[in-house]
Amino acid sequence: MTSKRWWIALVVLAMIAAACGGTTSGEGGDTDTTGAEPAATTEATEAPTESTPETTGGETDAGGDFKAAFVYVAPIGDLGWTWAHDQGRIALEEELGIETAFIENVPEGPDAERVIRDFAQKGYNVVFTTSFGYMDPTINVASEFPDTQFVHISGFKTAANASNVFGAMEEARYLSGMVAGAATESNVLGFVAAFPIPEVIRGINAFTLGARSVNPDATVKVVWTNTWFGPPQEKEAAEALLAAGADVIAQHQDTTEPQKAAADAGKFSIGYDSDMRSFVGDSVLTSPVWDWAPKYISIVEELQAGTYQGDESWYGSMADGVVDIAELSPLVDAETKELVEMKRQEIIDGSFQPFCGPVLGANGAEIVAEGKCLTLGELLSMDYFVEGVEGEAPNEAPTGLGS
Amino acid sequence: MIGFTLEKRLETSTKTNLLVLAGSLLVALSAGALLLLAVGASPLEAYGAMLKGAFGGRLEIVETLVRATPLILTGLSVAVAFRMLFWNIGAEGQLVAGGIAASAVALFLPGAAPWVPQNAWVYLPLMGTAAIAAGAVWGLVPALLKSSLGVNEIITTLMFNYVAILLYQHLFNGPWKDPEGFGFPGSAEFGEFAFLPRFTGRLHLGLVIGLVAAVLVWIVFTKTKWGYEIALIGENETAARYAGVSVFRNIVLVMILSAGLAGLTGFSEVAGVSHRLQQGLAVNNGFTGIIVAWLAKLHPLRVVVVAVLLAGLLVGGDQIQITLGLPAAIGQVLQGAILLSVLGGDIFSRYRLRMIRTTAKEA
Amino acid sequence: MTDVTTIPDVAVQLAGVTKRFPGVLANDSVDLDVRRGEIHALLGENGAGKSTLMSVLCGLYRPDEGTISLASDGRLKPVDIRSPRHAIELGIGMVHQHFKLVRSLSVTENVIIGMDGVPLRLDVDKLGAEIAEIGLRYHMPVEPGATIWQLSVGEQQRVEILKVLYRGADVLILDEPTAVLTPKESQDLGRTLRTMVAEGKSIIFISHKLDEVMSFADRVTVLRQGRNVATLDVSATSKGELAKLMVGRELSAPPARRAGELGTTLLELKGVSTLNDRGLPALREISLTLGGGEILGIAGVAGNGQRFLAEVVTGLRPTTGGAIEVRGKDRTGASPREMISAGVVHVPSDRLGMGLAGNLSLADNLAMRSYRRPPLAKGIFLDRRKMVVEANGLIERFNVMTPGPATPARSLSGGNQQKAILAREITAGHEAAGGAVIVAAYPTRGLDVGAIESVRARLAEERDRGSGVLLISEDLDELMAMADRIAVFHGGEVMGIVAPSETSIEELGLLMAGERRT
Repeated sequence: MTSKRWWIALVVLAMIAAACGGTTSGEGGDTDTTGAEPAATTEATEAPTESTPETTGGETDAGGDFKAAFVYVAPIGDLGWTWAHDQGRIALEEELGIETAFIENVPEGPDAERVIRDFAQKGYNVVFTTSFGYMDPTINVASEFPDTQFVHISGFKTAANASNVFGAMEEARYLSGMVAGAATESNVLGFVAAFPIPEVIRGINAFTLGARSVNPDATVKVVWTNTWFGPPQEKEAAEALLAAGADVIAQHQDTTEPQKAAADAGKFSIGYDSDMRSFVGDSVLTSPVWDWAPKYISIVEELQAGTYQGDESWYGSMADGVVDIAELSPLVDAETKELVEMKRQEIIDGSFQPFCGPVLGANGAEIVAEGKCLTLGELLSMDYFVEGVEGEAPNEAPTGLGS
Repeated sequence: MIGFTLEKRLETSTKTNLLVLAGSLLVALSAGALLLLAVGASPLEAYGAMLKGAFGGRLEIVETLVRATPLILTGLSVAVAFRMLFWNIGAEGQLVAGGIAASAVALFLPGAAPWVPQNAWVYLPLMGTAAIAAGAVWGLVPALLKSSLGVNEIITTLMFNYVAILLYQHLFNGPWKDPEGFGFPGSAEFGEFAFLPRFTGRLHLGLVIGLVAAVLVWIVFTKTKWGYEIALIGENETAARYAGVSVFRNIVLVMILSAGLAGLTGFSEVAGVSHRLQQGLAVNNGFTGIIVAWLAKLHPLRVVVVAVLLAGLLVGGDQIQITLGLPAAIGQVLQGAILLSVLGGDIFSRYRLRMIRTTAKEA
Repeated sequence: MTDVTTIPDVAVQLAGVTKRFPGVLANDSVDLDVRRGEIHALLGENGAGKSTLMSVLCGLYRPDEGTISLASDGRLKPVDIRSPRHAIELGIGMVHQHFKLVRSLSVTENVIIGMDGVPLRLDVDKLGAEIAEIGLRYHMPVEPGATIWQLSVGEQQRVEILKVLYRGADVLILDEPTAVLTPKESQDLGRTLRTMVAEGKSIIFISHKLDEVMSFADRVTVLRQGRNVATLDVSATSKGELAKLMVGRELSAPPARRAGELGTTLLELKGVSTLNDRGLPALREISLTLGGGEILGIAGVAGNGQRFLAEVVTGLRPTTGGAIEVRGKDRTGASPREMISAGVVHVPSDRLGMGLAGNLSLADNLAMRSYRRPPLAKGIFLDRRKMVVEANGLIERFNVMTPGPATPARSLSGGNQQKAILAREITAGHEAAGGAVIVAAYPTRGLDVGAIESVRARLAEERDRGSGVLLISEDLDELMAMADRIAVFHGGEVMGIVAPSETSIEELGLLMAGERRT
């Protein structure tokens, strides 16, 4: 009896680790849909936590200084999604001198609503909720605090005081595809991808279209890892793709493992989220990256001026500066550099969009006819592959889309 | 020279227990204070913020109770099984199974059986029953494997967690995905007839379900023949068999109750909080329930108290970040220190610390 | 130590040692001198405070009052014993009744385990040779390389003693060492102990068996209710006197056999067979009858099927052949619960293993048979207050010594645990119309004389009320005195059924050894 008690005490102690971790990091973001890749990276970053001012908290401070709050799904040290948002927060402090606060590692689920409500109650003028799973809680809390603005990233719901903000990462993906298509010698590109959800599929398709625009023979092989953050799986997937003949590895993941695997094999790669060239080296030809600072600054400025449209649905483009590609590696040849920069200008000035017809599906169907382009709704629900992608998508490509 | 030694207590009084608890908390808070000082924060301010964040006002108390609701139910679930020394580590999976079943009723019954009146009086009982049944089935497989083949229930209940969680993720990522959801994972929102009524803020009927369940389990434990048999099996299975108690039957029945309670937790969470099947159901409430049950010494009414206090600790922990601007990890360390001290302090409830003075001349 | 004028050379002195537990005064100002070169028996009933006193001496408990002094350079010096490890440093070692050996390790490894100053790299051969040599010196041959699980119980005990000797103990405490030994092994142990005291070591020998004290010890201290009631030279006392000191009163003679007629047949086994846990035959076609008002003794060397007999009769083990009838009704394959309803009650051999749930209250334990029916049960509910009332009644009628019905069963002494089981089983048996079948397996084993007397009297009383008692025992004197007939088991078979008036201990011995009665 006594020994059994002891034994179970051990089990319970072991469980503490799991449970405590769980209350703060949830399900590890395995099914997180935003590309918000919760990471357990413990590396220190330059993110200056000490710059977070202490807030007084408590009563609503109507006439006082402007305060912005951020709810993050992962630690700011993830070097990816959350890190990028935190750069935006820091920009708010530095450029506008406003007060900000953040809470990291908030699991998508019941806890999120409490945290969002707490910020609202403490009198923050705007609350940024930066993961898809915060959508319902954000809308719920918004109805209770009509004087507070809520900004949700990556969802599809809005309310009078809750806007929805996201960016056209496919534009940057297209450009990175051009770089990869020009660099490949085997004409096989590898793509390590997390989950078959529209955001990721959109990125793969744009990457493929970009690659084939400079190299019609290029094909893209996709391997699903079913995890946002899984260094060993990501590495294995990259190695499998390399073994299958791929000589450029792109990714929609959270770590630099696919990049390292490619570098180890003497091959090129394309990063994501942050400029991974600075972590891995020049074999990373470029990386599609997020830059939230301009949008966050404009939201706050408009709120201060009283001109912000509280229920906007904003799908930012490269012209808005929210997405871009990182500086190209010196290993990219001059001709490609020029070509990519030209296309980038076309995207920025609006004369080019990746998903304008003719676009063929992997099954040969004509998805978008000449002269038409996919609508935003069609972009956001994309669940099929375009021609040139080899892999499993949830659906077959349809025909006759676009307008 | 002064040394210390541990001596086993014959009996532990309530006073001792309370003193030990107070001592454990003091140790934890002091250790936490050192940590806070080390990162340049004021411990008084931090603890004050945590306390205020958990119990400082109506809104705070409401949120703490919302957080406590699933912990009460999973704590009871675990306490029931542990009372019989059946190590059900599978409350998490049983909770998820219950959530799936309740969601299935809310999502698909209106289409499959349109003649069922779409109001809360009909739907909530149906969803609750489905959740209890699904949880019970999830727990019954390990129970039958244990009682008929002697398969270790710790392994089976643990593995069944993963099966349930993967199934649940598959459902809201795939077949049950909201067609209107732009391809984003998550089921459609339930009709309002499938919402648990709310009292204030997010505080929903699930809390009352938890409290009623606690009283019922307490009655089972202390007032019924069944509770007596459970205790007998838990203390000495051979003696129970000798007294004519069917161990097989009781393993099955106890797991139906235990896993059913966990399943009910899933119902309470989807119908009370998320209103759809999506990310955020499997957030380790089933595992935290083990801590709750253990701290409550498997006593059903104490489970309620412990669940509320633990919820307060979790909710108040947010303030470490929000009010003090410290990293999330500091809050986790504080929470961990408090739990570890309270669990570890238990040894002093069972053993007495005696001080020994030794003199140099003796040897 | 024969010269009367020699001042006895005291090795250990306990003066005024008092140890309290909540609600219990376990030792009450006990004085005890143990001399160099003597075997000093500590005699007392279960619960008299023998084990607590020795736990104080070996550092497990700390005394609330009193001092312990050890001889050092010819003078006694007070010491403060902090832990068992400290005790052994001071030369006091205890051999526990339940061995504390690691079954998968060798003898050598077990002896040195936990010792200070053991080098990282062991010279196992050298250590083994040392250990074997100590063994030989004290007539305890051991194989140093043997693994513990390969050893007999007697050999394991030698390892325990060697552990203490190897650590240099001069004072050895042995807690009921013969309880687990065969008579031959007991004799060997006696020789070992004699050699040790001849070398000047002191031995404290805890026992409640009078025979053993008379044959082993030089002096004896009798504890009763935590107090030292007498310290005597064994040569100057008698079993009778010791028993009286121990119990505090005169003991009555064992209850007589019944003279009257047998009642109707209560239990009949017709060719019953069963298998043990490993699937091997444990009972082979046993046929027995038990009548009302009869005590049927079951004799046999332990492990010859007696336990399985108790289990099949009480429904705890399925039969593989034959039939069991209770009061003429076929009960083959009945569950334990059905057997209980049929009036078969059971005093199991393993009190805390089967008869009681040690951590539950005495009241809970006393309700194990009666909780299903009114007055305790009301539908699915259980009336806890009535349970306590009933428990108080049983405690009083069966004279169970306990602080109260809420006390956990495990904290009662062995004798009182057995009284509680008897109270419960006998009372349950009274509900059976026409007399119960009482299966009593080794009901007096491990009990002190006072408790043995009371248990035997209760069983005889039930017999006189018309119940049938299946008395399984290894105490042939007990069987000869109490049983109306004795069935002798060997290898799972009945070798013969004899009446005590027509047989002898010698004949029983032959039957137990497997010789069939012709």
